[in-house]
Amino acid sequence: MSEFFQYVVVGLANGGVYATLALALVLIHRATGIVNFAQGEMGMFCTFIAWSLITHHGLPYWPAFFLTLLIAFAGGAATYKVVIQPLSRTGELTVVMATIALLIILNGLAGWIWSPEVKFLRSPSPFAPGDHFEVGGVIVNKQDLTVIVISLICVALVFLFFRFTRLGLQMRASAVGPATSRLLGIRVAMMLSIGWGLAAVLSAVSGMLAASQLELDPNFMLIVLTYAFAAAVLGGIDSPIGSVVGAFIIGIGISLLSGYASSFLGTELQLPLALAVLMLVLIVRPAGLFGQVVVRRV
Amino acid sequence: MSPFGANRILWRVLALAAVPLLVVFLPKAFNDYFNYRLAFVGIYFIAIVGLNVLTGYNGQISLGHGAFMAIGAYTTAILNVNYGVGIYWTIPVAGILTGAFGFLFGLPALRLSGVYLALATFSLATSIPLVAKRFEGFTGGGQGKTIALPSSPIGGLSTNEWLSYLTWAIAGLMFGVAWLVLRGQLGRAFRAVRDAPIAAVSSGVSLARYKTLAFGIAAAYAGVAGALLAIAIAFVNPDTFPVSLSILLLTGAVVGGLGSLEGMLFGAVFIQFAPSWAEHLSEHLHYNEATVQSTVFYGLILLAVLFLMPGGAAGLIHQLGNGLKRLRKWRYSRADSRATA
Amino acid sequence: MRRLVVALGVVAIGAAVALPGAMGGSTATPGVTAKIVSIGGTFPFSGPASSYAPIPVGMQAYFSYVNAKKTNGKRGVFGRQIKFNAVDDGYNPALTVQKTKQLVEQDHVFALVGGLGTEPQEAVTAYANQQKVPQIYVSTGATEWGARDKHEEHPWTVGWQPDYQAEAAIYGRYIAKNLPNAKIGIIYQNDSYGRDYINGLEAGLGSHKSQIASQQGFEVTDTSVTNQVIALRRAGVDTLMIFGTPTPTIRTYATMAAVGWKPQNIFLNSVSATDTFMGIAVARAGAAEVNGSISTYYTKDPANPSWANDAGMKLYKSIMAKYAPANAKVTDGLYIYGMAKAYTFVQALKAAGPNPTRAGLMKAVLNMNDKSNPFLLPGVVTKTGKTDFFPISQQQLIRFNNGTWSPMGQLTDTRPRG
Repeated sequence: MSEFFQYVVVGLANGGVYATLALALVLIHRATGIVNFAQGEMGMFCTFIAWSLITHHGLPYWPAFFLTLLIAFAGGAATYKVVIQPLSRTGELTVVMATIALLIILNGLAGWIWSPEVKFLRSPSPFAPGDHFEVGGVIVNKQDLTVIVISLICVALVFLFFRFTRLGLQMRASAVGPATSRLLGIRVAMMLSIGWGLAAVLSAVSGMLAASQLELDPNFMLIVLTYAFAAAVLGGIDSPIGSVVGAFIIGIGISLLSGYASSFLGTELQLPLALAVLMLVLIVRPAGLFGQVVVRRV
Repeated sequence: MSPFGANRILWRVLALAAVPLLVVFLPKAFNDYFNYRLAFVGIYFIAIVGLNVLTGYNGQISLGHGAFMAIGAYTTAILNVNYGVGIYWTIPVAGILTGAFGFLFGLPALRLSGVYLALATFSLATSIPLVAKRFEGFTGGGQGKTIALPSSPIGGLSTNEWLSYLTWAIAGLMFGVAWLVLRGQLGRAFRAVRDAPIAAVSSGVSLARYKTLAFGIAAAYAGVAGALLAIAIAFVNPDTFPVSLSILLLTGAVVGGLGSLEGMLFGAVFIQFAPSWAEHLSEHLHYNEATVQSTVFYGLILLAVLFLMPGGAAGLIHQLGNGLKRLRKWRYSRADSRATA
Repeated sequence: MRRLVVALGVVAIGAAVALPGAMGGSTATPGVTAKIVSIGGTFPFSGPASSYAPIPVGMQAYFSYVNAKKTNGKRGVFGRQIKFNAVDDGYNPALTVQKTKQLVEQDHVFALVGGLGTEPQEAVTAYANQQKVPQIYVSTGATEWGARDKHEEHPWTVGWQPDYQAEAAIYGRYIAKNLPNAKIGIIYQNDSYGRDYINGLEAGLGSHKSQIASQQGFEVTDTSVTNQVIALRRAGVDTLMIFGTPTPTIRTYATMAAVGWKPQNIFLNSVSATDTFMGIAVARAGAAEVNGSISTYYTKDPANPSWANDAGMKLYKSIMAKYAPANAKVTDGLYIYGMAKAYTFVQALKAAGPNPTRAGLMKAVLNMNDKSNPFLLPGVVTKTGKTDFFPISQQQLIRFNNGTWSPMGQLTDTRPRG
């Protein structure tokens, strides 16, 4: 049994990294109605900025962390203004394609500016890498625990922001009914770019957390994006809670699969099997676990 | 009569005839390697014409078209290497098998649309290469399968010329079939399913039938393209079909203009040549790290194209056409008003 | 209206044609003129393997150095400048084939040098041999590049570095001799790379093979190896073999530290044992976790201060300072790997004489006995012969301690006998 819980703990640690990025995807989808495929690369790029602030500009970790979040916010909002808004009158797929172009540009740019060698970004955790405790034979690493906590704090902050602040309310209104909101005097375009800024902040957090578990190179967020995308869709692409739950389900699911199934399935089939299960869930609940089925009118 | 009136059919026939002529003569006009690239344009053309049937005409997004190409390519490689089937005979088999697979995949996908379908197809693109890697005895695993190098069966034609002619002959055929299918009853049903699904159902169009059929057709096209890809590179392995291939194909379809078959010609040219335009651009600007930069330039070119023609090449043409019409109307109306004055 | 679509297509194709431009003419030997020797290779500048991108950069730096240096009053090799066309294939064989054909048929390169990746290079081996273009010094250590039957099938193809199986066999023999009671665990990348290592290890262990207690595979796409590490720990492993490319290797160390496990002996494959990667492993897992790890190398290690006064190392550093991009990390072993390889090629090109042909180059490549490579460890000979197609097959066992590797014992030769 301790084996099972060990796999769950490992899965939770992975899920924490996916959760913030999945939440970012959901924010964008609610605001703009598209999946931002550049979301992971925005996080990757910000993580390189943080690395550069620490390594080349001598900033301590936390100032660099928050400065990066500021830069991320500005970058995300600017991306909306410069790239997404001008294309917003075109087809949905054109905008999606533009995010793919952004993905390609950011990925190439990171390799160009910082050279493609693997880099190291330290963990935000105050604990040493080996710090851990055991509960009933289950090893819990303190750094991993920090990652989960930071991730949950971010999610909670976003949640509180949308629920209890005026700006959050205006942003929700702009996403749900832009025309009505405009009539009510809400600056919808401004709200949407703030939404993009916030999503970029979340992806920067995700990147900096992931870099402490994975390795910092221009490609490290691509795989995280895959899982976050799956998590966001599993939870229901418009449900923030759903995306976070989805992220932990995916983290735990993959961990259990790799623990129990890979010995007879082969490691190759882990991901296909996980995705197949995901598809089955979606066939039963086509709008995800927490999504609402939209009734379409003719 | 204006070219936009009764002569329109004639013009279209002439234009369509120009393509085969180009295909026949272009290979002779450039260096031999260029023909090889033309063959790839043809392969992408076939694949994105199929993708357009699904996404453009039937409104179902696919981020997994590369997976269908993988199935076609593996069909060719396995039939040819394991069972000694003649390489060209594997092409129709690849089309039919992949089509059947696509049809079956379309059944569960029926329940999904939008982002959910995007994830389903994306999962397919992620999974197929891993599945191919797993069943090593059959597929060659991660090391893949090496096929005999292609060679021209016709004297006087170089290998590259032969590949180009072969690909474009098949591309022409498949384009014609798609064109005929889409302008008929089936095409109307596809569009009805895309634009007004509930109205389509209430007038007796079966959503399930047409959505899965669209998946089947799209997959069959990708299967043929995959078979031709396997023949052209004489090798398949899981790395040959990364997720980025599926995204590349969708790029081609969007840049060409969803809902326009002819636009796919531009889309195919774009995805084959834009990366090398990017490389040349970055070489001109900065030699030393040219290769690292070129992906940045490719992304910028793609972004520029999206801004300049958000409806794809076909959309741009459409707009230009409308502009011309308006211009002409304006001139006529001025002439009329002068005449009456 | 639709004709415009077609017209646009035509224009696009026209533009596509005009931009690449035709280059290179056919001379007696393709790629060789009085002034230039043109060579090329495919490398993953983008895509999943882009962390290997320093290799062609190191090669280019050395070629730039040779091109600028005067030998007998002439710059370059016999007065010819080496033009190295390193192109991006993104580690995708479909692109490797296209780009290789472009190098051969459009750019008319003299030889394909250093192309990276086992599967991508396999995808073009048949083609290079059909065209009789040398495909030499590929950047992969799969055993097949030097295997005799493969060589007979593909005489225009040659590897460069010691092969993975031979390397793993060194570990196997070391364990059999020095750690006869070891309980061995393997964490491996589930592909031909990882399996080459397992095969070599088993061969080296001989009768001790049965002491392999647990084998745990992972996919390159996995984001975590925690379950594998925990399984190895549970199996009571005291001697761990890490057979993976750099990123999963670093992750393995980090995970071992995270679960508080330090097996007595750790062996890791040489590809992942460069300074950059070890530095990150130390940062991620702590020095205590990484100290004592055993690997092999055959190039000098630019991160190790003991080479500071070595002439070869000084040369390497001066070349990097002058010809490599400013953001290149000089201590990264991949640059010196590329430079050592470029050195071998220049030696072969010199040996091919003032009027090189492709066949002449192959003859030089296959009859080499070069002790002069300043970037390889002293004593490592680049040697090929009638039955020996592994240019480098000597390696040095090394142990990691406090940030640097130090040698253990003598150079080991894994050159096939006979």
